[in-house]
Amino acid sequence: MNKIEAKNVDVYYGAKQALFDINMDIEANKVTALIGPSGCGKSTFLRCLNRMNDVIDICKVSGVVKINDYDINQKDTDVVRLREKVGMIFQKPNPFPKTIYENISYGPEIHGIAQSKSEMDNIVEESLRKAALWEEVKDRIHEPGTGLSGGQQQRLCIARTISIKPEVILMDEPCSALDPIATAQIEELIDELRKEHTIIIVTHSMSQAARVSQNTGFFHLGKLIEVGSTDKIFKNPTQQQTQDYITGRFG
Amino acid sequence: MNKEERLIKRYKAEKRFQFYGKAAIFMALLFLVVFLTKIFSTGYTAFQKTWLVIPVNYNADLLYLDPDKKPTTEDINDADFYEFGIETFITLDPDASEDQIMELKKMFAFTFERELKYYLLDNPDSFGKTVDVKLTASDDLDQVFKGNYPRDIPENRRRASDYQLKIFDKLNEDGRIISEFNASFFTNADSREAELAGIASSFMGSLFSILVCLSIAFPVALLAAVYLEEFAPKNRFTDFIEVNINNLAAVPSIVFGLLGLGVLLAVFGLPRSTPLVGGITLSLMTLPTIIIAARASLKAVPPSIREAALAMGASKMQTTMHHTVPLALPGTLSGTIIGLAQALGETAPLILIGMVAFVNTIPGTPMDPAASLPVQIYIWAESAERGFVEKVSACIMVLLFFLIFMNLGAQLIRHKFEKKWN
Repeated sequence: MNKIEAKNVDVYYGAKQALFDINMDIEANKVTALIGPSGCGKSTFLRCLNRMNDVIDICKVSGVVKINDYDINQKDTDVVRLREKVGMIFQKPNPFPKTIYENISYGPEIHGIAQSKSEMDNIVEESLRKAALWEEVKDRIHEPGTGLSGGQQQRLCIARTISIKPEVILMDEPCSALDPIATAQIEELIDELRKEHTIIIVTHSMSQAARVSQNTGFFHLGKLIEVGSTDKIFKNPTQQQTQDYITGRFG
Repeated sequence: MNKEERLIKRYKAEKRFQFYGKAAIFMALLFLVVFLTKIFSTGYTAFQKTWLVIPVNYNADLLYLDPDKKPTTEDINDADFYEFGIETFITLDPDASEDQIMELKKMFAFTFERELKYYLLDNPDSFGKTVDVKLTASDDLDQVFKGNYPRDIPENRRRASDYQLKIFDKLNEDGRIISEFNASFFTNADSREAELAGIASSFMGSLFSILVCLSIAFPVALLAAVYLEEFAPKNRFTDFIEVNINNLAAVPSIVFGLLGLGVLLAVFGLPRSTPLVGGITLSLMTLPTIIIAARASLKAVPPSIREAALAMGASKMQTTMHHTVPLALPGTLSGTIIGLAQALGETAPLILIGMVAFVNTIPGTPMDPAASLPVQIYIWAESAERGFVEKVSACIMVLLFFLIFMNLGAQLIRHKFEKKWN
């Protein structure tokens, strides 16, 4: 079943067109990797899926993006509820300059998920456990989240995102600021999270895409060149450009 | 020029540059030291007050009271202490002529009646006895005692006469002239007599003005800054507003004074000379300063924090109120304190709205007439009496103390509450 369907998506930054007629289906409970050279539009596409492009004044999006068969690009779409369903992890870990606990309790608090203090405590612990961070921070959850290491901060951000149980998690190069060990931890985590969430990950690293994803889409110059199962894209691509990119001839 | 010479030249240029920098800092410090030394050396004596301790005979006959009955508070209040005072002063020189008696009287502040009366009210047991009472010296003798007053100029060009100085020296020999901490400088309102003038009225006036200014300028400026920075679309109109806010910050303060005069007093009919009007006028002046500081602090909040909150499904308003504004608050507050410090030292607009009036009462509310500290400096600096010279410097010291205190507070807030993000 397709969780997300994008049809004829065009994105403009002012006069410059960043995405050209993207059509892409994303399967539920799988990891879909978006790969391609810098500036190819993969992050722009990712941000179309939770309307984060709204934040950028000059950005205009057209086309249809359906999540659970509902078009999120309608005028009256409630972005607050959309983003409750579609969480996002950013390139640079961006915990709030608050305690670890407050970082995670923020989402449930504004969405009114927890009814009591103990329920909130449970959500915090559960989220941290799922993000494989609980054991490391359980003794200092009331200390600032910004005091953690880069990899821990990124897992904190993941814990924050899953605290409100989104159906989809968007990850925008989540490991690009991390060392190999932290990267391995996050990748392991992504595989775990796939059971409950649909994950779309933008990555620069082709090996990462090969390791973590089931499906892969290849972007180039604002166009979706090829999309299919990761196996097929990496072993037997139909397009010459894809072949050239994954064999390292450009990009 | 070979490579070696070029290198030597570069090092020399750097040395020269560093020297210029150090010289500039030295110059700035020198000005500061000269300025502060002058203020302190002139002003510190104002914190001392000269008293003449004279024997006073609280004789019933002199006060026209019944000697056999202990006088009630009412009796004392009704008694004539002016004549009693004159009689007391004559005891300093029993042979004094009419004119000399008047000179004796002028050795004391005109509040001697009150001081004699209050002494008796506070010490009812002194009734019928001769006791030593502390009376405020006139500003002329005060200045003589502090050494601020030249004694060697001809008598006709001096305010203290030879006769007064003779009595004064005799009292001094007897140890009857004492100098104590001048509490009345802080508790008295302004007065025409330098020895009695204090800063209580202007201090309260400044305090009320600043409070009014803060309570108007801070919320308005914060809302304006948050709206402009976080919500308003970026277009020509908002650019135009931004340019005009910056222009407003550069408008000379006297123009705001005229605005206060023309609008607040003339159109709205608010009471003249009050901290209310002064505070509103100052808030107009402080507004752009706070807006600019608040916008700069909002801009300094990394966009990643906003994105994090938005991606969690926080609305724009929640993102702003829960994350952006709290993070920008330290910078905004320190900007606010700096703006208030400016307002505290502002004179021109207050003169225009009438806060330059002579106020000898201490204001209890922002609606009562008051002066303010910088205006008090201006008023005293214009006065002819020598006693006001030290008062001017003392008032400057008080003002400087508060300015330094506020700036330190701003610095502290900046350092202590600034959140660190990577």
